[in-house]
Amino acid sequence: MKGFFRFIYELIGSPQPPSETPVYREVIFPNVGLLTIGLSLAMVLIFYYLINRAMGVATFNKVRHWVTFLVANAILAFIIGIWQTNSQEVASHSYIYWMSTWNAILGLVWFFLFSVILKRGSTNASTTPF
Amino acid sequence: MHLTSSFRLLPALALGLLLLPGCYSRKDIKEEAGTETPPEVPPTEVPGAVAPKESTAAEVAPAAAGSGPLAQVNVFLEVSGSMEGFMPKTGADASNTRFQQHVAQFLSEVNRSSAARKTYFRIKEKPYRDSYQQLSQTVRSGIQQPASSTNIPTVLDTLVSGYYAPNTVNVLISDFIYSPKNAGAIPYISTDVTDALNRTQRQDLAVSVYGYSSDFRGTYYPALNASVKKITGCCDTDIPYYFWVIGPADAVRRFDAALLEKQPAQQAHFGVGYPTPASSLLSRFQNVGSWYYGEKDASKRAAGASYHTVAVSKVSAKEPVEFVVGLDLKTLPGLYRDVKYLKPNLQLQAQDTDAKITDVFAANDQTKNSSGAENQYTHFVKVRVTKLGKAARPLQLTLNNQRPAWIGQWTTKNDSNINQAGAKTFALSSLLDGVEAVTSGEQNKAPIFTIPLTLQPAD
Repeated sequence: MKGFFRFIYELIGSPQPPSETPVYREVIFPNVGLLTIGLSLAMVLIFYYLINRAMGVATFNKVRHWVTFLVANAILAFIIGIWQTNSQEVASHSYIYWMSTWNAILGLVWFFLFSVILKRGSTNASTTPF
Repeated sequence: MHLTSSFRLLPALALGLLLLPGCYSRKDIKEEAGTETPPEVPPTEVPGAVAPKESTAAEVAPAAAGSGPLAQVNVFLEVSGSMEGFMPKTGADASNTRFQQHVAQFLSEVNRSSAARKTYFRIKEKPYRDSYQQLSQTVRSGIQQPASSTNIPTVLDTLVSGYYAPNTVNVLISDFIYSPKNAGAIPYISTDVTDALNRTQRQDLAVSVYGYSSDFRGTYYPALNASVKKITGCCDTDIPYYFWVIGPADAVRRFDAALLEKQPAQQAHFGVGYPTPASSLLSRFQNVGSWYYGEKDASKRAAGASYHTVAVSKVSAKEPVEFVVGLDLKTLPGLYRDVKYLKPNLQLQAQDTDAKITDVFAANDQTKNSSGAENQYTHFVKVRVTKLGKAARPLQLTLNNQRPAWIGQWTTKNDSNINQAGAKTFALSSLLDGVEAVTSGEQNKAPIFTIPLTLQPAD
């Protein structure tokens, strides 16, 4: 688990400053990774199953509505990165913003993957985005 | 219809909610508010192979003797004729010497100290029991019946064989001018001292020597008296005098810390063991290059935790790694806290690396008031590395037990012209050679402390 998150978050390079490496590897990467996956899954479930199935909303199933959720998910993922690094009191460094940006990109990927997997279960949006 | 379908979503939502809270956390942030004193983490994991023999002995001793007050303190004041100049009879101007001022104050401190029993002696050819008042009076108003001369090896022999007891220290106050019977005996001074101290073969014998100097008004008796028997109306220069604290290593260490560390003095310690001082790497203090704590639980940053493993992720001549080791030396005597002593005597032993000490410095207001871990330490050692081995290698920071430079400077080979020689003592270094031979055993001198570190490539 830790090894997996360390791998995907160190694709952009080692944590900076180097002295914070143990905290990033042991605490921040797993936390941010799990939170982002959970967030993406929740956003997908809300879009396909809550809005477009349980609530039966018929006017919120276009690609632009899906993109709205996608972007909101990315912004929240960025905020998760900033929030988690701050709460762990790491030394401030521009890497925090770089890591959070990378997390936003990962958020896009998770959201897309969950969409592809789960869209079939939706009644109104089973063909969104394609 | 709608109801049943929404119920089917519940497991998926529940899964999402379960994933949301982070599973990993750091202890310190939650506990910071609660803990005020970091738990004492003595670095007891000193590898047995490198642990100095003396320090293990010292660690065993406190368990037996306890850390409470000493059982007994014996103070011995030499009252031979050569000491009269330190304690001149009070003149019309009521001025005294620094010796009188200092020793009277010291006797008072001993009398007030927490030791269970305090006894006082005048040393002539043998010790004579005095009360505190009598001995203090002797210091203040001069020696009534000076002894003709005292022989240092004899005195040491008496102290070690008659007054040596667990949890007890003997303080000998004297000018330590040892006058051998003839010039041919001079080369044997150190042997005489060794034999005297060794006669009863005390295993944990320790001697702390504190050197002071005082003005001197009286007759000076040189040790080398072939040409000059005595110098009357001496001296234009200050004359050294010494406190020798003799006893079991643990008792000497505690007595030194309680009573002799307050005032500035020259010091030398023989056979006294000290507990390994608290230490830690500091990853947020003057750190340079790509390295971090290699400990498994480093991410927890528990309050008061200490770290001794350096994991280096990238290092080269162009991108050196620099790390700082914080040391808390407040349990050591002043000699070993002096940066002038630490700089030449702190050494690194390492393999497959060029790690070396680039700086040693004491805490200042900035480090003391810092919110970082550096505020716990009194001294800092900065180490620079530009290359390292392929796997984890031990790195040892040791403080060597080196004889302090003042002993040489305070030694003279000829004191018959003491006014020209200055504040020196005849054959002081030979006397201390004799002490050292007893206390350091046959092996090489054990270091004052050894702090094991590990230097490893990052995984």
